[in-house]
Amino acid sequence: MLKINNLSAKIDNKSILQDFKLEINPGEVHAIMGPNGSGKSTLSNILSGKKGYDVTGEVLFENSDLFSLETEERAHKGIFLAFQYPLEIPGVNTNVFLKTSLNAIKKARGEKELDAIQFLKLVKEKAKELKFDEEKLGRQLNVGFSGGEKKKNEILQMSILNPKLSILDETDSGLDIDALKTVADGVNALRKKNNSFLIITHYQRLLEYIKPDFVHVLMNGKIIKSGGPDLALELEKKGYENIN
Amino acid sequence: MEEQLKIDFEKKLKDFSYSDQEKKFKETNFKEFLKQGFPNRKLESWKFSDLNQIIKSNIGELTFYNDYKKENQIDKIQLISDLEHNKLIVIDGKIEKIDFKFEEKDKIEVLVEQGEETIKENINSLINLNNAFSNKFCKIIIKKNYSLKKPLVIYHSTNKNTQSKNTNSRIDFKLEENACLRLIDIFKDNTEKNFLNIYYNFELDKSSILKNYKIDKSINNNVKYSYNNVKQEANSISETFILSSGSKFFKNEINCNLQGQHSSAFVNGIFDLDDENHHEIKSNINHLVENTKSYQLVKSVLEKKSKAVYQGKIFVSSEAQKTDGYQLSNAILLSENSEFNAKPELEIYADDVKCSHGSSSGSLDENSIFYLMSRGLNYKEAKKLLINGFLLDVIEKITDEEIKNLIKNLLGVKE
Amino acid sequence: MRDKQIEDLKDYKYGFSTDIESFKAPKGLNEDVIKFISNIKKEPKWLLDWRLKAFERLKVLKEPDWQKPKYPKIDYQDLYYYSAPKSFKDKPKSLDELDPKLLETYQKLGIPLNEQKRLNGIAVDAVFDSVSVATTFKETLTKQGIIFCSISEAVQKHPELVKKYLGTVIPLTDHFFATLNSAVFTDGSFVYIPPGVRCPMELSTYFRINASDTGQFERTLIIADKGSYVSYLEGCTAPMRDENQLHAANVELIALDDAEIKYSTVQNWYPGDKDGKGGIYNFVTKRGLCKGKNSKISWTQVETGSAITWKYPSCILKGDNSIGEFYSIAITNNHQKADTGTKMIHLGKNTKSKIISKGISAGFSDMTYRGLVDISPKATNSNNFTQCDSLLMGNKCGAHTVPYIKNKNSDSNIAHEATTSKISEEQLHYCQQRGLNPEEAVGLIVNGFCKEVLQQLPMEFAVEAQKLVGISLEGSVG
Repeated sequence: MLKINNLSAKIDNKSILQDFKLEINPGEVHAIMGPNGSGKSTLSNILSGKKGYDVTGEVLFENSDLFSLETEERAHKGIFLAFQYPLEIPGVNTNVFLKTSLNAIKKARGEKELDAIQFLKLVKEKAKELKFDEEKLGRQLNVGFSGGEKKKNEILQMSILNPKLSILDETDSGLDIDALKTVADGVNALRKKNNSFLIITHYQRLLEYIKPDFVHVLMNGKIIKSGGPDLALELEKKGYENIN
Repeated sequence: MEEQLKIDFEKKLKDFSYSDQEKKFKETNFKEFLKQGFPNRKLESWKFSDLNQIIKSNIGELTFYNDYKKENQIDKIQLISDLEHNKLIVIDGKIEKIDFKFEEKDKIEVLVEQGEETIKENINSLINLNNAFSNKFCKIIIKKNYSLKKPLVIYHSTNKNTQSKNTNSRIDFKLEENACLRLIDIFKDNTEKNFLNIYYNFELDKSSILKNYKIDKSINNNVKYSYNNVKQEANSISETFILSSGSKFFKNEINCNLQGQHSSAFVNGIFDLDDENHHEIKSNINHLVENTKSYQLVKSVLEKKSKAVYQGKIFVSSEAQKTDGYQLSNAILLSENSEFNAKPELEIYADDVKCSHGSSSGSLDENSIFYLMSRGLNYKEAKKLLINGFLLDVIEKITDEEIKNLIKNLLGVKE
Repeated sequence: MRDKQIEDLKDYKYGFSTDIESFKAPKGLNEDVIKFISNIKKEPKWLLDWRLKAFERLKVLKEPDWQKPKYPKIDYQDLYYYSAPKSFKDKPKSLDELDPKLLETYQKLGIPLNEQKRLNGIAVDAVFDSVSVATTFKETLTKQGIIFCSISEAVQKHPELVKKYLGTVIPLTDHFFATLNSAVFTDGSFVYIPPGVRCPMELSTYFRINASDTGQFERTLIIADKGSYVSYLEGCTAPMRDENQLHAANVELIALDDAEIKYSTVQNWYPGDKDGKGGIYNFVTKRGLCKGKNSKISWTQVETGSAITWKYPSCILKGDNSIGEFYSIAITNNHQKADTGTKMIHLGKNTKSKIISKGISAGFSDMTYRGLVDISPKATNSNNFTQCDSLLMGNKCGAHTVPYIKNKNSDSNIAHEATTSKISEEQLHYCQQRGLNPEEAVGLIVNGFCKEVLQQLPMEFAVEAQKLVGISLEGSVG
């Protein structure tokens, strides 16, 4: 599904990722763990199409060149990024935003757009599953939401947009244990044969609830070690410094 | 008035020797002033303070000739005693004394000859008036990497019997790279019906720091205008603080060109006005290159029939991306006859900027007074306490501790 | 060539012109033309005298020049001051008699004059060039004693009301363009709501400039008698022409004791092409007088069109406890220029005013908010709150804020806040990651930025305005 070959990235001539390689097949869950400044967020930014990076190498998503696609085209193809810091957009109603987004994606795929009633039904259902306070959906997007609510809102958007590849950028940071479970439930519910996940995290905590197929350790812009779920536990014990 | 102007200007040219260049400069400026006269409310920047009218009603007829040969007595002036400082004394527009006794002599240069450069830009008619009638050119240069050990205090005063007179003074300053000057203007002119016109030019080279504190606290019946023209190169900082209080009328104008990256300007002020005093601060902060910053905070406390005007403008050119500009004015009207006017203006041509301004005016919060009185203070004490609190945060903006304390004492503000 | 025309039409969908023969007064501005206008409208002598008095005054007035946008000199002698569809020489008695081409024009504009195809509960008065062509729902309104007709008709049928209120808010001698309007105004709407009546539907006027070289000088007068309420909507479009056209309207509102007037405008005059050629000069004087106690006047405007806009819908808060509000969205793109804002003059006790202004500039355009808040010594316990936000898109445009704040009353409070910013890259990226293209993303974010104002508009207008916000900024995302 996603193939990253020799990806290098620089910002202001500072090298962040070097010869990064990763392949994710349909249905797989990959976790990338790494200390601060190891290039985790850069990876999610580049995959989603954020501008400002000098990039070389190749990224293929379902065999098409990702770099030739605009951010929204990547979204249309089924890439979803749960932001580490979800943005506030004053004045824009959360429901309106979600509906606009869902229908933009449906339209690009040539699917039938949802009308207001169908949409509300879908949202209600998903919000209930994720224990998301419905009243918040009538409010301005992320404005006045707590850190946890913002993160849950990302997962709600993910479950509504039903992407093929979901990238979770430190979605677990700042969440209490209940919120963490809710997030994990959301991910697990979406986990199907064809949906893949790339979970970027600092701690092993989230991985207790979402069992990854592969764990990779990212240090100084490179994957230095890959393994199964046990690698996360090893990391937790030894710390990043002592792993190689 | 025109006739008087012509007579006084002729006499001036006759009595003092000027080089041809100086003469031409003065004549050009004189003609320009004759053409324009004193500014009036029809000019946008004088909308709230019609100087022509103010001079007419407070002074009447003015004379413009000053005898710069005459020695003025300086021992009558009450100097600041609780602060060691260098002195520059200006009486009736004439620099009577320059004393940098705390400083290394070769680090400061004082020029009294007009140099090659003459400022061509036409700022306003009062600058023309100043250039036409002020005495010899004076420029103070602070050498590279030198920080003055003590502040320089400029005393502005008038002779005891000076009346109905216009006095003009102009001083240019150059702060070379990495130099630092603390400059305090103190107005000590307890005369009446004079019009004092003061013009400063500052060139701030790379990484230099200027701190200018203007203190108009002693009560007098004169009309004053002061114009600071500041040009700032990269990484330089200018801090201006104005305590506007004692004069009948005072308009302080600050024009600041941030033309080097990472330069910044701070303009803070207090209007503490009583009786029928009418004061104004007008600032023009021009952000001309990337990554410059400005901050302005002006607070007013207005008694009786006093009137305060704050016109603050932030200009951001299309090159000046990443500008950070902020401006706030708050006023408390303590009497039903007092008046606060503001024109906080933004003119912005670059999109990646952070600019905001705010302005508020109103009465003292009665709920707060009530709260304090319920704790045993009388009305007067409660009011005083609230005003102190109101003014304190702008005083705290003063970065020089010694001068901050001086101003706190002058205002009777305790922490 | 044709492709270009189609392309242009896509940008400004109201840019068609209608081929209707029109009947015009001779070009030029002089007493004869004024007499011609007055005569053709069969006006009483007092009104002709009033017009001539304005004309006398006009001779000594100078065109204002303090506004930020400057414009090439207008030759007032080279304009038509009266233009009417020829078939209107004898005004049709009913809608059935209207020129079908006219009906078609309004159909294209999306304004059905045909009552069966009515817009949801909105009564419409349509002004085509210089004259009012049709007013709908007259009967329904008449039952409640509401007068809603063209001002020409009001002069004939309700002269006492017109005479009593005309020029009481915008005096004859006010300023150049207002006085010019007083001398040559051709038509416009008249509304009178009797005491205690709450107008059951939105009243609306749709202005359309069709003929070339024609100035449009309409005059609107709205009187809300004691305890009444009315919501009034105004929309405007014009065909695309290469030359600039002048629109200098006067709008006077009068609210008596306990009355409320809500006046909403969606201004979409032709803004000129991408290079700044053509477009309307929109120099309009709008002023409301809160004459009675507890009265309220609320202006809401969405300004997206015109080459140059100068407009300051104002409130004079004379009655004690009266309230003035101003909600504004102004968008400029390409070479458009706007200098707009409001004046809140507090004269009565306990008067309150609120100003919310959202300005968006893109392309090479220039936008100025200019506003005055003046609390007079007698306006005890009054307050004003002002919020002005500007959004810049690109660094070829300008956004300026010029508020004048005068507080002469110690028991009154004024608070003013202003910000200038741009749409952050992060916000755009976030929306794009959710599948929106850059233009959709900008439209969404800008609509969010304007929300406080859009909420003030009546439902039907709000939808139109939201779309307009998106359309106006098309092509501004680089």
